[in-house]
Amino acid sequence: MLRPHEMSSVVITGPKSVQEPIIRELHDMKILHIVEHSKNELADIGIPLESAGRLSETLVKARALISALGIKKEGAFELKKELLDVESNVNKLNGELNSILEELKRIDAQLAKNDSIRQELELLKGININLDNFTSCKSLASFTGYISSDVLRLKDEISKITKSFMLLESKAKKRNFIALFADRKSEENISDILKKRNFAQVNLANVQGMKGAASQNLARINDESLKLQKLRNDIMRKIEKLGTNNKGFLIASEIFLREQLEKAEAPLKFASTTNAFLAKGWIPSEDLKNSIERLNKAGRNKIYIQFEPAKSSQKAPVKQKNPNPIKPFQFFMDLYSIPTYREIDPTFFVFLTFPIFFGIMLGDIGYGIVSLGLFWFLKIKMPKAKNFFNVLILASLVSIIFGFLYGEFFGLEEIGNYHLWHALSRAKDMFTLMYISLAIGAVHVNIGLIIGFINVYGDHGLMAAIYEKAGWIVLELGVAMLALSHFKIIVISPWIGAVFLAAAVMMLFKGEGVKGIMELPSIFTNILSYARLMAIGLSSVILAVIVNDSAGQFFHKGGFFILIGILILVIGHLINIMLGLLGSFLHSLRLHYVEFFSKFFTGGAKKYAPFGLKDE
Amino acid sequence: MAVDIGTGLIALAAGAAIGLSAIGAGIAEGRIGVAAVGAMAEKEELFGKGLVLTVIPETIVIFGLVIAILVIQMAGG
Repeated sequence: MLRPHEMSSVVITGPKSVQEPIIRELHDMKILHIVEHSKNELADIGIPLESAGRLSETLVKARALISALGIKKEGAFELKKELLDVESNVNKLNGELNSILEELKRIDAQLAKNDSIRQELELLKGININLDNFTSCKSLASFTGYISSDVLRLKDEISKITKSFMLLESKAKKRNFIALFADRKSEENISDILKKRNFAQVNLANVQGMKGAASQNLARINDESLKLQKLRNDIMRKIEKLGTNNKGFLIASEIFLREQLEKAEAPLKFASTTNAFLAKGWIPSEDLKNSIERLNKAGRNKIYIQFEPAKSSQKAPVKQKNPNPIKPFQFFMDLYSIPTYREIDPTFFVFLTFPIFFGIMLGDIGYGIVSLGLFWFLKIKMPKAKNFFNVLILASLVSIIFGFLYGEFFGLEEIGNYHLWHALSRAKDMFTLMYISLAIGAVHVNIGLIIGFINVYGDHGLMAAIYEKAGWIVLELGVAMLALSHFKIIVISPWIGAVFLAAAVMMLFKGEGVKGIMELPSIFTNILSYARLMAIGLSSVILAVIVNDSAGQFFHKGGFFILIGILILVIGHLINIMLGLLGSFLHSLRLHYVEFFSKFFTGGAKKYAPFGLKDE
Repeated sequence: MAVDIGTGLIALAAGAAIGLSAIGAGIAEGRIGVAAVGAMAEKEELFGKGLVLTVIPETIVIFGLVIAILVIQMAGG
């Protein structure tokens, strides 16, 4: 419980001829945590199996198909096909999809082109002229665009330059649109005039070469676009159908291919010479015997396996060992840092105190029941975060227990005329609760120091442990004696306290150096920090009481106001529950991470991740 | 209810102790929080360490709370 699974380091050596069966066996056993070999002068890393290139290519295709067909990765599907089948099927699907997508691309391009043609035709709709006039020619210059000023005056001005011109106008998008034809010779002069009149040229590149009236062409283009749109819808349906038909196959093949690729690329982690390979790693000691037997069988007794139990100096990966009820709390270690192989795994202590701290802070029968329901619901909704919600469900149960101790139901201490029994009223006995909180803090921090003592004792011997960890306890005793004798609670000479204090300072200086001296007050701020157990709870109670009181005032007025009262109750308590849950969770977490763990925890170990086991 | 000026001042002092220390903690926590979130964006495993660093200034408010309680007690509850 307090220690991880025992690990043994394993070195597997064998000829290349059995490399593949060994990899397959290792993948099936899901037991070896591989330590990657890095290239050195003795041995290079291995080269992937032959199939790796083809596998990764197929995998990329399968993944592309999954994303292009919009398949969600959910549910489990059986795959009863061989590798070759999977490959050819994926390739076939890929080809099918590609040709469909190409068709789609062509249609989209055509639709976009039609769209721009339509925009130009809409402009020309009001001008009754054949479209082939817009085809550029040598002797005729044409201007099309918007103009802000009066068209009649424009006509006057142009007629002063040349007689051979034609000016057509229409309204488009609430602005004056003109089409002006004139002979080439006067082109420059005309464009000067137009420039002065804020002429905004519109390029009619897309209608070039068209014949007939604009309105006719418009009808034709609209018709064509409609047909294309229909075609496009068909294609989209086809893609959708392809997705639903092949969903299971693609999801299963993605997993299958990934596994195969993992196997094919395993030699990259091994050391390798021309004819032999060498794999290093870790196996839990309890599985060692069985594993060696299986490997030898798979390797046709051509391999050599060397093993020894993890020594203190070695950095073994950590597989935490906790009974099932405690396992969900390993979540907190994943979040923070994995304890090293040598130190005590604090998961058990977190299991003991986290729900209690949470309960002390939330502590309300009503809030506890609401959060219990909420987390139960979320646990069913999100099975992936099962561990997290199990922790919170336990914490909610403890909150209900503390709710009974405080005698609180949604902040009420009496329901109707029935007064709830309580061991301690949070709103009234604030100071009592604070002293209890500080006492809990003192105990918790000292448990941390004791764990730290054991850790240091194991690593660096008894004296180091006394200097580093027991020094803090002596310091606490010294200060406690001084304080108690000062307030005349116990009758001893203040000198005894002073001696303890001095001894503690010297021990800490020896154990932790100058840093220890500077940190002296930290132990007391740590204990003081547990006052939040009272403070968070108190603020939650007061808020609940305020909500109840203000709703109560509306209830007294009667009639329509009762509705407002109910609204205030619901919203107020919802907000308070949310704040309470967040606060209780984070502060309980913080008390563990900051105040508790800082007394002993090193962490930073690698988590045991055997080859072949999928991450969840 | 009628409150004499002395009680009022005590209440103000207690409020100021909490309020001002909370502002201080807020400023500190905000800055650390920004850095912590930035670090987490780069490396998700840093959540635990980021959380720990972010909540360290909270102790300041606890000090404020202790002072407030002392002030109120000084006034005789």
